[in-house]
Amino acid sequence: MLEGHISKAFDGALATLHVRVIEMGGLVLDQVREATRAYTDWEEESALRVIEREREVNAYDKSIDSEQLLLIARRAPVAGDLRAIIAMSKCVAELERAGDEAKKISKNVLGAGSYPGAATARDARHLGELAVSLLRLALEALDTIDASLCYEVIARDKDLDAEYAAGLRRLLTRAMEDPRHFEVTVEAAFVLKSLERIGDHARNLARHVLSIEA
Amino acid sequence: MNQPSDQTFQERKRPDAAVSAAIVAANTPSAANGSEPAQRRRDSEGGLNLKPSGRTHGSSSSALEDRSVHAPGQTMGQIAVENPVFSCRDVNVYYGQKHALKKVSIDVGRKQVLAMIGPSGCGKSTFLRCLNRMNDTIAGARVTGSITLDGRDIHDKRQDVVQIRARVGMVFQKPNPFPKSIYDNVAYGPRIHGLARGRADLDDIVCTSLQRAGLWDEVKDRLNSPGTGLSGGQQQRLCIARTIAIQPEVILMDEPCSALDPIATARIEDLIDELRAQYAIVIVTHSMQQAARVSQRTAYFHMGDLIEVGETDKVFTNPRHRLTEDYITGRFG
Repeated sequence: MLEGHISKAFDGALATLHVRVIEMGGLVLDQVREATRAYTDWEEESALRVIEREREVNAYDKSIDSEQLLLIARRAPVAGDLRAIIAMSKCVAELERAGDEAKKISKNVLGAGSYPGAATARDARHLGELAVSLLRLALEALDTIDASLCYEVIARDKDLDAEYAAGLRRLLTRAMEDPRHFEVTVEAAFVLKSLERIGDHARNLARHVLSIEA
Repeated sequence: MNQPSDQTFQERKRPDAAVSAAIVAANTPSAANGSEPAQRRRDSEGGLNLKPSGRTHGSSSSALEDRSVHAPGQTMGQIAVENPVFSCRDVNVYYGQKHALKKVSIDVGRKQVLAMIGPSGCGKSTFLRCLNRMNDTIAGARVTGSITLDGRDIHDKRQDVVQIRARVGMVFQKPNPFPKSIYDNVAYGPRIHGLARGRADLDDIVCTSLQRAGLWDEVKDRLNSPGTGLSGGQQQRLCIARTIAIQPEVILMDEPCSALDPIATARIEDLIDELRAQYAIVIVTHSMQQAARVSQRTAYFHMGDLIEVGETDKVFTNPRHRLTEDYITGRFG
């Protein structure tokens, strides 16, 4: 629905914008994956890479923002085109925030944080996989502008929320069993929360894609 | 929880979608390599250059009504308004054998601007000319259906066409002041219709009309200068002053800004907004932005059919008919 304009240059500009947003999504997806691994496997090198690449995510955000402003100024889009451009702008904001969550997770590894125990790492890994798969599905929905995939993302975010609640309960149980785990529990709770928030950003992204079809 | 594996995703992915490949690439083990995202971007850009318009989008249905053949008279949206000044039903116009306007039904509301848009030859100007019986002047033109002005059929034999044109003023694409003074241009209508009771009354009408048209301050010291000596934008405002001098109920505007520069256009648009407080205005325009800025209702015409009519805010953000969407977004026209 983004193509078919009399002006092929407009088609090209919209398609470029679309691809750039998906590219940014691919990068954020990678960031979330690597940040989760950095925490669960306690890999400082991975954590450093995530923090370094966060600059690239922000650069995407900035350059896509400029492209969108130019497109609006040059083409004065209306109707479906306008909805698509606004929706993509919102999607970029969601991706940027998801990237921030990945950075937060990585900072745990580089700070004075504590190595998570096997059970906590397992929970974080599981939640990370769910968040990545949800974000990937949301990006696929954005790529194909497919409402059915959007509804799937929105529905599956509830599953992720439930898994987060369950993981948090298990964390607290372990902390109560052995108060020496308190510090790692607090850090792990923040990591799980970040992963749950990434799922929320994927859900929001899917909602923005739905608004294109309005 | 049932989550898709990478394999599931791979199966869903279209083989030619470079952007999907970017997502998949981000999920492969090699993505751990720090230089990989740069490579991915290059790949994606390559994909884009190959075929940006080859995208096939999802299976979800669009909210747009997608009728390839539009049946005459089946307008989408709210054609009726409360207490209309004009009420048109099943209006057909024929130029000889050509069926130029097909079963058009629409109301024109009071104190609001109705914008009519559509590609050239779609019938919007033809419809505009029906409203003050200007089509009567075209040889071979035939109008059928019902057009009522304040509840009275304008084609009724007892109706005086001159009176109808006095009640329904018109402003044309090209400013067309009479080759007379600024004063006489505005005073002409009130004189021939006997609206002034003396020179003082006429002076008052001329002054008020020029003020309403936003031209008074610019011409008050040279009312005896020829109207044709004014700039294009000033001439168009003079024509608007001439139109409102006879106190019409409705003002028809046929592309009133297409011959004007952006500043003169902005002045006319402001004027339209002010005039709306007193008059019903019907404007034909080729500028989507102008229709979106000045009107409260928008009607989209296509090959003689009235395809869609609705609140301007909705038509320009979320039109209901595919043809409307395609036209306003520049996909044909």
